[in-house]
Amino acid sequence: MADERRDTTTDGGLPAETEVGQPLGVPRWVTAVLPIVLLVLVLGAFVFTSPLAGIQGGEPLPDVTVTHSTLPSDDTVVLHVTNNGPEEVTISQVLVDEAYWNFRVEGAGGDRTLEPRESARVVVPYHWNPGWDLEVDLVLSDGATVSHGIEAPQQSPGFGADVLWTLALIGLFVGVIPVALGMLWFPYIRTMSDRTLHAVLLFATGVLAFLAFDAGFEAFELAERIPGAYEGNLLVVSGVLGALLLVQSISSWREGRAAGDGRAGGGLWVAYLVALGIGLHNLAEGLAIGSSFALGRVSLGAFLVIGFMLHNVTEGPAVVAPVARDERPAWWHFVALGLLAGAPVILGGWIGSLAYSPTVGAFFLAIGVGAILQVVWEITRMVRDAGGRVGSATNLLAFLIGFAVMYATDIFVAI
Amino acid sequence: MPSLDYTSAAEVTAQLEERLVEAVGEKPDVSRRTVLGGLGVAGSAAVGIGSTRAGADSGHDEDEHGTFGAVDEYRDSTFDPHEFLRTFNTGESGQDAVPQRIYEENGRTVREFEFTAVDTTITIAPGIEFEAWAFNGQVPGPTIRAVEGDLIRVTFENFGRHAHTIHPHLKNLDPEMDGIPQNGPGVLETGESYTYEWIAQPAGVHFYHCHSLPLKEHIHRGLYGAMIVDPDPERVRENPADYVTDHPSQITDAMVDDLVDEAKTRNHEYAENDAVNELVIVMNSFDTNFDGGNEVYAANTRAFAYGVGETDGNGDWTAGETKRPIRIDKNERQRVYLVNATEFDLVNSFHTHSQFFDYYDHGTTLLPTRQTVDTVMQTQAQRGIIELDYSDHEPGLYMFHAHQSEFAELGWMSFFEVV
Repeated sequence: MADERRDTTTDGGLPAETEVGQPLGVPRWVTAVLPIVLLVLVLGAFVFTSPLAGIQGGEPLPDVTVTHSTLPSDDTVVLHVTNNGPEEVTISQVLVDEAYWNFRVEGAGGDRTLEPRESARVVVPYHWNPGWDLEVDLVLSDGATVSHGIEAPQQSPGFGADVLWTLALIGLFVGVIPVALGMLWFPYIRTMSDRTLHAVLLFATGVLAFLAFDAGFEAFELAERIPGAYEGNLLVVSGVLGALLLVQSISSWREGRAAGDGRAGGGLWVAYLVALGIGLHNLAEGLAIGSSFALGRVSLGAFLVIGFMLHNVTEGPAVVAPVARDERPAWWHFVALGLLAGAPVILGGWIGSLAYSPTVGAFFLAIGVGAILQVVWEITRMVRDAGGRVGSATNLLAFLIGFAVMYATDIFVAI
Repeated sequence: MPSLDYTSAAEVTAQLEERLVEAVGEKPDVSRRTVLGGLGVAGSAAVGIGSTRAGADSGHDEDEHGTFGAVDEYRDSTFDPHEFLRTFNTGESGQDAVPQRIYEENGRTVREFEFTAVDTTITIAPGIEFEAWAFNGQVPGPTIRAVEGDLIRVTFENFGRHAHTIHPHLKNLDPEMDGIPQNGPGVLETGESYTYEWIAQPAGVHFYHCHSLPLKEHIHRGLYGAMIVDPDPERVRENPADYVTDHPSQITDAMVDDLVDEAKTRNHEYAENDAVNELVIVMNSFDTNFDGGNEVYAANTRAFAYGVGETDGNGDWTAGETKRPIRIDKNERQRVYLVNATEFDLVNSFHTHSQFFDYYDHGTTLLPTRQTVDTVMQTQAQRGIIELDYSDHEPGLYMFHAHQSEFAELGWMSFFEVV
């Protein structure tokens, strides 16, 4: 195969064999730059002569998003706002439950005016009641109102070493330990027949596919709260596609680079990819945990940890299954794989609690989805390369079981 | 033997109770996110550490809880609600922005005013602008004041984008002068003008407004104002029954003397009137986001304009530049001409703290229609006269406001500073 491709470029096209003569003898770079220069000129002419002035009517509507609110103490409400519109907006007054209330705007350069794309915090001294819904309206200078409901307000825990420690412990229990436990199936997996192993691999892709859907829906849900200027839905799509293609291109590059090297096509590489995909997903999961923390959404009981452990323990065999046919990798590979897959929960928790924003959250989720999709692709190829048939009845059932098991444990988590 | 088994009845009750609690306590939209948040407690509980700081610490209420009220002062100085309170356009004197004159015609006093309708922008709360339609550029429109029986002549020119009229709440004998689209000149288009003539009657505090359609838009955008008709003491002496709700047979000579004296205090042309501190308050409201509900309520357009500038909540306060209480002399009699121009709400109200007052519904009587009350309500276009006496009060701040607490917190909250 490699021989047939010798005279093609890496992208499969034919190399340019003849120099095409330049018109008027201008250098090559001039012809490259010319269209850009002309574009700048045309744009400049458009901006300065305003040819559309005659048909433009009305001003753009103010577009302000309240991304989220935090309640740092029982007598303070903080709204995090972003101006999406092309014009500056001024927050003139604030209504709390239909009453004008005193407030101050922090982070907008000392005044109450937000430039386009500028974000700020509106701090309202208001003695709220835990669990009693609050309705806050920002009244802009032209009288437009921006509403934000705070459901069942609870104090945000703020930030400190104890919170970081708590999140680390949660991450350990939700992420690292279950994945590590799942990886303990490795010796058993090694004893399996090819047929069974392929079924296990397909089971793993079922697990991953479920996670992709789960995180994908979550990302689109979050995207609704992303300030309009950032185009939440498209950001998610870009994140998914971007991560998918980026991981895939790294994979292809490595494959092309180390052709002939035994390890390159080996399962360890796939195992790392799986761990990376799951890790990115778990990072997003950690973000969710951390941001719930930041938003004061702290409720429910300890059995959820058990639910999550069950849920995540299935990620362990998914990580180690690809190396089942190889020589047993060194022990530290297992540690690395486990940490790569599980530890991001801790990292995500920290990021989520420190710098929560729906934009960051949705983007991380989207990256997780993209990475997972690439891993699914990689595993199915691995099965095919090992002489297996991806679409066999056993494999399809295994995939379905993986999906169903995740669904079942997810119900347990999402009671 | 009772037919009812108490034990099973108790069980059934307990079951129903439980079901109710579950139904009420159920949060159908608990998201995964919320659930994940639960791990905070769960995780720490599982490991035996308990400091998530999620529970509110008790016992730290020493700091401020914030207070209601509009933040900042008014930057726009084109309209001063304090000046508006005491400005009456009588033909002889009034605002510079309202050209006016007074003269005799066929033995009748004529008070002539020039009115315009313009589209303008007004400030209704600090930093909040409202696209208004306004008589002579202000909301409320100029307060017209005449004496019973005078001819009020208003030359009205429309400079606004929309067609407008002026409809007076007077007893008006000429249908052409009613200021409605269906009669007389009809609506006045942009650039058109018309001269309305009305006999000032009956005595009282009245209302004028644009009657173009859509009605609620034209009124709520600002085309309204107060019109005061002072009683003529001579007419009061001749027709005392017109100024009381009593049956004519109950009217004694002493009562007539009292009514005439009262009429003199109401009539701006008599010296007795100078002893009374008179104030005009038009209760109004503004829907800034077109949702059919008001975002701002006010006395004379500007939210909290008669409130204190700043307060620490412990009785220490400072007057602001543009937000300050109405200062009154405790030894003067106070008379408030109160008009309700609130749109979208059924009623508005006026409530005084630590004080009771006499109320004259529509101001058409010279004896109170309600005595010793501290709250009155008015539907839209209803109006009345309130008379207050603070002579036995300690100097200081006395609040008055709409006793729809919602309206009060949305701007219709004011103070008298009694000195």
